[in-house]
Amino acid sequence: MDVVNQLQRQFIDYSASLHREGFLDDQFTQLQKLQDDNSPDFVVEVASLFFEDCEKLINNMARALEQQQGVDFKQVDASVHQLKGSSSSIGAMRVKDVCIAFRSFCEAQNREGCLRCLQQVTHEYSLLKNKLQTLFRLQQQILAAGGSIPVVE
Amino acid sequence: MKSENIVQDRQPQPQEEEEIMQQEEEEEQRFHVLAVDDSVIDRKLLEKLLKASSYQVTCVESGEKALEYLGLLHHSSPASSSSQHHHQGSSWKDVPVVVMSSENVPSRISMCLEGGAEEFMLKPLQLSDLHKIQAHLLKSLPHS
Repeated sequence: MDVVNQLQRQFIDYSASLHREGFLDDQFTQLQKLQDDNSPDFVVEVASLFFEDCEKLINNMARALEQQQGVDFKQVDASVHQLKGSSSSIGAMRVKDVCIAFRSFCEAQNREGCLRCLQQVTHEYSLLKNKLQTLFRLQQQILAAGGSIPVVE
Repeated sequence: MKSENIVQDRQPQPQEEEEIMQQEEEEEQRFHVLAVDDSVIDRKLLEKLLKASSYQVTCVESGEKALEYLGLLHHSSPASSSSQHHHQGSSWKDVPVVVMSSENVPSRISMCLEGGAEEFMLKPLQLSDLHKIQAHLLKSLPHS
């Protein structure tokens, strides 16, 4: 059948699954709605900034938690707070949820709990990165085939 | 309308960001928003939201950079810049300030509003949030 229709169907289904599985929430849809002719790569650009920021913050957290002579939990919390904020702004729901739990462990100055959360947040971040890269690839394929990207509600 | 100077005694909290708006007195009469946020993602989102709502935008990453942009920070000796600062200080007095935060802390929100902020907005921001501040901006226009 029509290649564009097939790709668009795939895109819609994949998008829906990302929402269903909690990787993305409504805020991501808001970002997609903001994308227009003036900024056709808006979502990809925001996502790239998010990935860069994520990596930087995760490294900060890891370094802070490694300190054998005493962890500065305020410093860890500051990075988690930032990550919580940016994941919330982009609609990265699972990453955000781990950050919420992470902050509780920081407050309780629980190093083990923090390390577990660090592991989880790293895992969720790489999952999301893969999934969004797949989504963006689908987008590219649709555009290359001459189609337009469906708006997913 | 509260007429407190933007340069207040209260130190901006790390988690709070300020959006300072200035009416452009040029041919377009479009509002020019100074958007302040330490998160690069939030700055990008804010810039897009504001542009999509037909505002002109300048983004800076901190309260200090904002004050610098407005010419409210002392760089040179007091003697040479004091008169200039007085003039610029009073011209910013009536600029509406909107505070944003990702945290919903009622006491902090009240403090911002009592301190002279027009509005408080909870992040993450959406287009519909910008419609809220539209009304405040229109209020601040001088009657011709």
